[in-house]
Amino acid sequence: MYLGIDTGASATKAVIVDRRGEIASQAIVPSGVNFKVSSEMAAKKALDAVRLDLEDMLYVVSTGYGKALVNSTSKSSEIACISRGVYRLIPSARTIIDVGGQDSKAIRISKDGKVLNFVMNDKCAAGTGRFLEIMSNTLQRPIEELSMLHFKAKKPVKMSSTCTVFAESEVVSQMSQGIKIEDVIAGLHEAIAERIYTMASRIGFEQDVAFTGGVSKNKGFVDALRKKICLSPVLPEEPQIVCAFGAALLAMKKHKEKP
Amino acid sequence: MKLNSRKKKRSRVLQTTRKIGELIVNYFSKAWDVKTQDKPVAWITVFTPVELLYALDVYPIAPEHFGALCSARGTILDYLKEAEKEGYSQDLCSYSRCCLGYALSGLNGPMPAPDMLVTFRNACDVYVKWWQSLHIHLGTPMFIGEAPYVLTYDDLNNYVLDYVVKQLEQLIELTQNKFGVKLDMEKLVNAVNLSDKASELWLQTLKLRRVRPCPLGGRDSASDIFPLVVMQGTEEAVEFYDELLAEVRDRVKRKEGVIEKEEFRLMFDGIWLWHAFDIIKYFEDKGAVFVHEPYSEAWAFRLDSSKPLESIARKVLSMGLNTDIDLRMEKFADTIEDYHIDGAILFSNRSCKSWSAPQLVTAETLNNQLNIPYLMFEGDMADPRQYSEAQVKGRIDAFMEMLSES
Repeated sequence: MYLGIDTGASATKAVIVDRRGEIASQAIVPSGVNFKVSSEMAAKKALDAVRLDLEDMLYVVSTGYGKALVNSTSKSSEIACISRGVYRLIPSARTIIDVGGQDSKAIRISKDGKVLNFVMNDKCAAGTGRFLEIMSNTLQRPIEELSMLHFKAKKPVKMSSTCTVFAESEVVSQMSQGIKIEDVIAGLHEAIAERIYTMASRIGFEQDVAFTGGVSKNKGFVDALRKKICLSPVLPEEPQIVCAFGAALLAMKKHKEKP
Repeated sequence: MKLNSRKKKRSRVLQTTRKIGELIVNYFSKAWDVKTQDKPVAWITVFTPVELLYALDVYPIAPEHFGALCSARGTILDYLKEAEKEGYSQDLCSYSRCCLGYALSGLNGPMPAPDMLVTFRNACDVYVKWWQSLHIHLGTPMFIGEAPYVLTYDDLNNYVLDYVVKQLEQLIELTQNKFGVKLDMEKLVNAVNLSDKASELWLQTLKLRRVRPCPLGGRDSASDIFPLVVMQGTEEAVEFYDELLAEVRDRVKRKEGVIEKEEFRLMFDGIWLWHAFDIIKYFEDKGAVFVHEPYSEAWAFRLDSSKPLESIARKVLSMGLNTDIDLRMEKFADTIEDYHIDGAILFSNRSCKSWSAPQLVTAETLNNQLNIPYLMFEGDMADPRQYSEAQVKGRIDAFMEMLSES
């Protein structure tokens, strides 16, 4: 068995694959402030589900922000892990849009799964999950509800700024003007979709386009980005664990190369 | 499960590079010597003709270099905050904020107060407003020269050139009247010859980086440019580059590279991140060496002492950022080939819009015409607050993995 751990800015994910590369178990825990603790928790959760110990793992690959702090055989970048994960789940994908807690990425891959090019958001948090988390706090509605409310919008507002700080005060002012919350939410999803579209346009879109990362679980956001890029995306069953899954597949590959 | 940690690879900095620290100390202490002798000190921007100032017995020092130095030594924040307290926005160039903060906090440090402020608007527009602000805060007389944007190489020989020569004459006149000095033609010719010699030696040295394994890496070039940036027209600069060239030639002869196993040859586009210098080593640990930087080449310019003013004016105009992007791109493909470059790192610098904006053209050329992979990341050359180490290193990891797979 092989273990992949993805220590993201907001959640830590662990995936165990068997010798055929099929998912045996998976776990998602909040990252908190200590990646070492969160990675151990995620790993334990995934291991417990299949009643195994860390020693039973032939190879462990860690990725994500906290990868250096994780007890693993080797480390890899998220770009490599996401691409590998997507290639296995959606072999027809040539473009990947991954939106996580603190980063958004667009990746172009070849038909044999190699990374051809990639872009990531700049230092700013606009266009990432963090943006939506802050807005959900401001609106005092959980993220899951934002996703539902999005589809009730009749007239999404136009946000004048995707800057997280400016958008926050803009949201407050719109709410105080009596604009409907669903229109504000749809406006926020459109703003973040616009930002990601602009970034990804630098490397271009080739079909199929796969959406991954925790934010892709938000149906409202997926809807906004789908409309923006005018292409139907392909979504894996569980977009949030694709990176950890890719890390586990990489562990399998590395172990086969150098057992 | 067995654990293995990534081994750090040994990489070698040139012996000559290690002398830079001493040169920097001497450069500033000389400024104070001049000051105590009651001779004038000018604050200049880096593409200002120092040869003229030497010939007028004015000692030039460059606050931009001071900004880079403070950033590298971790002392820049105090100055930045001082400028920000006064209302200068964090979006402004960090060199300018550092300099203004230094000026506003009483000029306590290695740069003596200026007797004159000299700049040419060639590298960026910020120079003009920055110098005007200094003039307001310090009351020091200033000279601002205009260098029209070079659209064709004809501009280096036509009325555009004449216009800059005229301004150089005005600068001479202003300095003579202000300090009661006289331009010493012999000194001018000497300084022009020394600048030219330093440039020639540096260009020869850079050319040797085409060799595999590359004998001079990013950690060298980032330091070694210092004499050319601020000490053109001096004997010390020529001595330094003489010694450097000899050492690099020796390395080439011995087939000794910067790193033991040179796997990737990279180009770095942009000003270096002075506060995060370890980033170069980070690449070297991954088997990648920087073999070419437009920034390193930007400082060298051949001069002709038989026509000193024209030649200096041409140098003021030809500064890379003052030249049309299409002209710059003409030689780009050849450079990529000559230096056997596998990938490019484009540092999009929040402080330097004139450097960063054309990078979109560079990126397009790399991608569409040359098929060279590139990585673009954002940060600031001097302000450590505008840089996210974990994020940038994550990107470098991904880029290097991509290069190894291709």
